[in-house]
Amino acid sequence: MAKFTKMAYKSADEMIFGTTKKPVKYGRDFELGGGMVYPEIVNHPRPGSEETKKSLMREYEKMTQESMERAVTLGFPGLQVELEHVWQMTKNPDWGGDIAGQTVRQQEDMYQKYGIKSAVRATIADNRKPEEENIRDCRNLELALATFESSAKNKADNLSMESVGGKEISDHSIARGDIRGTLFGIGVLGSRDMEFMWKQIVDIANKHGATPGGDTNCAQANVAMFMAGGMLDKSVSHVFAAVTRAIGAARTLTAYEMGAKGPTKDCAYEDPIIKAIAGIPIATEGKTCACAHADLQGNLIMAVTDLWSNEAVEYHDMFFGTTAGCFVEILGYDVALMNSAIALGKEKDLQEMMVYSDMYRDPHTYVVAPAQAYEIGKEIVANNTDYYSRARAGAICAAKLILGDEKMRLSNYEKEDLQRILRELESFPDKEADFIDQCAAIYKKSVPGFNLGNYGL
Amino acid sequence: MAIAEVFVRYDLKEELGEKKVAAAKDPLLQKVMDAVVEGDEDNIIALVNEAFKSHDPMVVIREGLVKAMDEVSRLWNEGIYYLPQTLISSDAMLAGLEECERKMGKSMERKGVVVTHTAEGDIHDLGQQIVNALLRANGFEVVDLGKDVPVDDVVEAVKQYKPAMVTGTALMTTTMTAFQKIANRFKRDGIEVPFVCGGGAVALEWVTSFDLGIYGKEAQEAPPMADDAVDGVPWTKIREKYNT
Repeated sequence: MAKFTKMAYKSADEMIFGTTKKPVKYGRDFELGGGMVYPEIVNHPRPGSEETKKSLMREYEKMTQESMERAVTLGFPGLQVELEHVWQMTKNPDWGGDIAGQTVRQQEDMYQKYGIKSAVRATIADNRKPEEENIRDCRNLELALATFESSAKNKADNLSMESVGGKEISDHSIARGDIRGTLFGIGVLGSRDMEFMWKQIVDIANKHGATPGGDTNCAQANVAMFMAGGMLDKSVSHVFAAVTRAIGAARTLTAYEMGAKGPTKDCAYEDPIIKAIAGIPIATEGKTCACAHADLQGNLIMAVTDLWSNEAVEYHDMFFGTTAGCFVEILGYDVALMNSAIALGKEKDLQEMMVYSDMYRDPHTYVVAPAQAYEIGKEIVANNTDYYSRARAGAICAAKLILGDEKMRLSNYEKEDLQRILRELESFPDKEADFIDQCAAIYKKSVPGFNLGNYGL
Repeated sequence: MAIAEVFVRYDLKEELGEKKVAAAKDPLLQKVMDAVVEGDEDNIIALVNEAFKSHDPMVVIREGLVKAMDEVSRLWNEGIYYLPQTLISSDAMLAGLEECERKMGKSMERKGVVVTHTAEGDIHDLGQQIVNALLRANGFEVVDLGKDVPVDDVVEAVKQYKPAMVTGTALMTTTMTAFQKIANRFKRDGIEVPFVCGGGAVALEWVTSFDLGIYGKEAQEAPPMADDAVDGVPWTKIREKYNT
């Protein structure tokens, strides 16, 4: 596996929405990172529609049709549709495959009629349960791989996943504000599991001519971010979520070292860091995912995006049309604004507005702004000797950046917590093997079912 | 307008007061209380054993561990403590309780049994883990069925353990549909147990659309709901209390 040893960009200032060092082409004339931003719609079926394959296929057929029609009606140049699997689509590989095939056919029809550019992303569900089964040899893994196969055979353009390796440790640790366990669960175990999974996903994609898209730290860093919540929530501290995001970036990078090409997954808020290092097109979501969760980086997270998404919206009637059409409209106009800025040579002005609208709203937002994302990326790359070292370096960098900017105001509690996190990070062993030994002893006792063998250790 | 006026940091206007904790009856119990309040799992067992020199284990439980946990709950409710502080306090409290039970040679009688699970097809069980920790720290026996639990398994467990309350958590709307199936099976089999459902996309409107369903918005509601259930308050009244 070739690890990243240098940054794709010379500086943060070089990074902009719509353009990447390594554009990706697939689908129906669809190119990401080649100078334009595109929208990506994620529709979620209504409860009950998942009862049978027939009813679920019909639900997806309607959602896709309405999304594509709205895009054509409003003159949007292209649209990617993500099929983010409900569990029935992965536990029944023919369901996932047939829905992918149906979606591609719908897009083909629209392409023939109107020339609208398009693509399909199939995001397979990771139903493995690390504390209950051998995640390297279990039925849930077999089904996931079979569903990658069925989706690729049915011409899904982009294969993606939200993998869950290390979640048993990170869940336990994030809820307790334990940065050691979070670094271990995400930075070490999560990365090792990514290596295991993405070798296989890339092989399947290559076999069928699909593009291996990307992964996200949704199962871990997003847990911290969601628990940190809004400004008045009292669950996880926002600084803890910010540092966790930097750890998540080091872990998610593994997919691209294993051969994934992007565009990445929309809910990977670590993606600005990934783009800075890997130079691949990224998908992000912000204000457009208000239907799924509140977001403290609603504008800022657009700053270097290449594919602008909405996380997931459940299919319902609106005053005009359905959510499947309405959210395409919202996404499409955001994208039109970005593309207009590019066409008029004003993209850096618009990017600056996006960044300054949110950068000091929250420390998690702060670390995914281009300048900070770039600095964190540099530390990850400079310490890329092993998974632990790079994740720890990224985390320390994030903590120091927040503490070092007086404009990034923190409550007394948040400041003390960040100082505590930084002290702990700096006190951990230098060698990965020593850290693993230390963590193995702690978490075998406190996390029932934790099995090092799941991670090849 | 300055750029700083684009948003308002309401969190900074909300700086909270200092942490003041009720005093214990004597210095040994005070140390036990302090260890729980500070979440000091490393030292709690030694401190509990020290307290045994002058106190019966039941006194250590009642006047040290439980009293401390009451203070932790208060600090959390007042917004002074965050969730992680509450959970590590719960861990310390449970470690201390286990030591007291070892000394007594028997388990302390629990308030009642609660069966918890995460819906079939859903592997996101952190919400359930938090509920489990809070229920245990508040004196309940928790039968943890884990995640991705089929409807049949939940129904069988409830028949076996006869809990005062059942909880279900789910992240997705397409997995929460299992809750209605479970409630229908309970009704069919004559099981009148409060069934508290929450998490992610689970909404009050959905949960209260079927009999037995009570919407759980926050994890910290679970212990008081379970107290009501153990006291024999019917599910209709619990729903009325928390969901209207």
